[in-house]
Amino acid sequence: MELINLKDITVSYDGKNNILENLNLKVEKGQLVSLLGPSGCGKTTTLRVIAGFLEANSGQFIFNNKDYTKIPVHKRNFGLVFQSYALFPHLTVFDNVAFGLKMRKMNKKSIEDNVNRILEAVDMKNFAKRYPKELSGGQRQRVAIARALVIKPNLLLLDEPLSNLDAKLRLKMRVEIRKLQQDFGITTLFVTHDQEECFSISDKVAVMNKGLIEQFDTPENIYSNPATEFVARFVGFENFINLNHIGDKVYEGMGGNKFKVQCERKKGENIKGTIRPEDIQILRENKDENTIEGIVEIRTYLGKSYQYNIKTELGTLVLKETNDVIYKQGDKVKLYLPSNKIILV
Amino acid sequence: MKGVCNMRKNKFLLIFSILVYIFLFAPLIIIGITAFGGESYIAFPPKSFSVKWFANIFSSETFMNTLKTSMEISLIATIAALILGVPAAYALSRFNFKGKTILKNFFFSPVIVPGIVVGFSLFQFMIIKLKLPIYTSLLIGHTIIIIPYIIRVIGSSLEGFDYAIEEAAMSLGAGKVETFFKVVFPNITSGVIAAFMLAFINSFNNVPVSIFLTGPGISTLPISMMSYVEYNYDPTVSALSVLLMIMTIIVMFIVEKTLGLSYFLK
Amino acid sequence: MKKKWYYILLVPGLVIILFFLIMPLINTIFPTFMVKGSLSLEQYSRFFKDKYFMQIFHRTFKIALISSFICMILGVPVSYFISRSSKKLRGLLMACTVFPMLTNSVVRAFAWMNILGKNGLINKILMEFNIIDKPYKLLYTESAIVIGSVYLFLPLMIVSMVGVMENIDNDLLEAAESLGANRLKAFFKVVFPLSIPGLIVGTILVFTGTLTAYTTPQLLGGNSNMVLSTLIYQKTMSLGDWNEAAVVSTVMILTTLLVIGIINKLASRLNERGV
Repeated sequence: MELINLKDITVSYDGKNNILENLNLKVEKGQLVSLLGPSGCGKTTTLRVIAGFLEANSGQFIFNNKDYTKIPVHKRNFGLVFQSYALFPHLTVFDNVAFGLKMRKMNKKSIEDNVNRILEAVDMKNFAKRYPKELSGGQRQRVAIARALVIKPNLLLLDEPLSNLDAKLRLKMRVEIRKLQQDFGITTLFVTHDQEECFSISDKVAVMNKGLIEQFDTPENIYSNPATEFVARFVGFENFINLNHIGDKVYEGMGGNKFKVQCERKKGENIKGTIRPEDIQILRENKDENTIEGIVEIRTYLGKSYQYNIKTELGTLVLKETNDVIYKQGDKVKLYLPSNKIILV
Repeated sequence: MKGVCNMRKNKFLLIFSILVYIFLFAPLIIIGITAFGGESYIAFPPKSFSVKWFANIFSSETFMNTLKTSMEISLIATIAALILGVPAAYALSRFNFKGKTILKNFFFSPVIVPGIVVGFSLFQFMIIKLKLPIYTSLLIGHTIIIIPYIIRVIGSSLEGFDYAIEEAAMSLGAGKVETFFKVVFPNITSGVIAAFMLAFINSFNNVPVSIFLTGPGISTLPISMMSYVEYNYDPTVSALSVLLMIMTIIVMFIVEKTLGLSYFLK
Repeated sequence: MKKKWYYILLVPGLVIILFFLIMPLINTIFPTFMVKGSLSLEQYSRFFKDKYFMQIFHRTFKIALISSFICMILGVPVSYFISRSSKKLRGLLMACTVFPMLTNSVVRAFAWMNILGKNGLINKILMEFNIIDKPYKLLYTESAIVIGSVYLFLPLMIVSMVGVMENIDNDLLEAAESLGANRLKAFFKVVFPLSIPGLIVGTILVFTGTLTAYTTPQLLGGNSNMVLSTLIYQKTMSLGDWNEAAVVSTVMILTTLLVIGIINKLASRLNERGV
């Protein structure tokens, strides 16, 4: 069931440059969807439009089949977790979490029950009487989540909630967030710039760049079949080779090097083929197709593998090989690009 | 950038604030307008236009004398306060020592004591007891009351100052005094200028201290204005007010260009 | 060898203040506690028993209280407005706030003499529209002093609060809104509690300022509405009653310190949560 439907949302600060241009996004109920992209790509702007802090210049925001475009923030019932947590410094943990319930004029006993229950769920029950300044970053974050969840929101919006935590805590908390999300079955939108983080917990990911969604799909699909060069780079592809379509699933690069591919699409000019460094092999025996010759430029030691920069007719290719045979600078090698590992963007 | 300024500005707040600022400015604007009135009394709205009241200021011996006195006193007092205050502000900012807070409060004491009490006490002590000449007393009194302004402005200027540059200068061969003048002072000139302006205008505007330290032929402009206003109802004081407001604008302009008016947000 | 040489930088200023402020104050205050060569509070008991003095004391206190209250009511919304304005507007408004602050107090009191006087603007307008047929006495009243004092100190209250309010993270407001608070509720439940430190500072400044001001009560209140400061001046210059002037001065200082102390105590109670 479709819960969120953003239609042709355009946002512009100064009338000239559009932060978002005709953005369309549909989110199913109960899913955790991430907005992923570098800073300035418009993911936070999109979130703020949904939250209601930002009015789009044009377009509609349909939520649960109702037009939410003009509804004021305090009437939307969305749970928000800010990057800075935004806990009220003058209120205790308990009062912070109770705030939304007080706004809904719940009676004292119910507030107590609900708050205690949610604090228990985020493992912060013993901190009810403390003030935010007495808590660590991770603890504050849990209180922020509790405060957003206790109001039983229709939608949970998280704006880079983990970026102020240290690496270890980040790994732990992202799992906790996913677990809470699934336990409560709450539709969640998660904004981040960390690819690994969002891939690990999302049902679907919208990769954004310069105000556009370049690909909206499951993490697995994005990882193995990136739709554009930007997305491919984002998920770790390197080695972008200019190709021309010359036959059925056959492409040609500089110097007449031909490659067979297995993936579909891409007609027309400006096609690029890309392959992960781990997938390029240095040939020991001979193969007929999808090969190219090159000279080793630089070798870098990475611990479990060596990275080689190989100069070829197609440009410099980067590949990673395990440590069986070690090549040195100047060595002539033959590279094999398996047809099922080449992606076209 | 945290989102576009939501144009849902609260209309009530806007109107309320506008009304308050009208409240703050209207009286001053009214004076300004009456200064150009042609009638022999203060008329608003004025029925005719004239600049004779401005001329009146310059032909009044009292006003010219007190203006001269005010300028002199404030200028000399400000310079004296700078000489006393800048080193003190530097020491308070640069070094940490026992009793620093007490000393800081000490230097701010002229502000904590009510002005009228300062004036009275100085009168009793300097003029009655020590029988100091009035001009000298006035000078000393003004110097005292503006030292806190110097210290606060310079102190704020020196906040976050990277004193490592002193060490750099010394390692390159500069002595202590030389270091201060060649390396610290040039970086606080804007603060010094702003301090000068604020101290000057607060000295110039002072009433509670000046009112006790006057004598035959020695009085400050605000005091002479006060006496004039109690018995005369012509727009001469309006004209003077206009001139003083222009002076205020000049001072504000200089402060903005040096320290920036955001300094007032403490 | 590293002697604290820098003490010398502090000495000149210290000496001047010591000799020309502290000593004069002691010279003034000390004799008030002496009667016929021995410590006594007799001068003070005389002061507090005197009906005339107490009337002046109450008047001064009342005016200070009312002015502070009005400044609070006017100042809080305006400060909030400024703190949420765009950078440019904020700069303009701050300039508009500082300008009256740096304008001479005589000019500011004079401005209200013009407006409140018998031939002043308000009476003129009221007569013009036939609301009254004789000029109403607005000048030389306690209310005139209150108006003048509010006029004098409102910018100070605003300046004290804007800085504090600016520091309140916009995130907090948005969080409150997302939890269901409309703008008004968000202000009272989040912004206002966090602005109290600024409000305290502002209130102290306005209250003590009004309590001890001279120009405004003198020009707008006149001799029929004496306050502590005009009393001190009158006793000194017109009546030569220096002893009594000293007593009044000490009462003024002590009242000021007491009020600051009480307000600060209140502040630390509220501030236990910390910001």
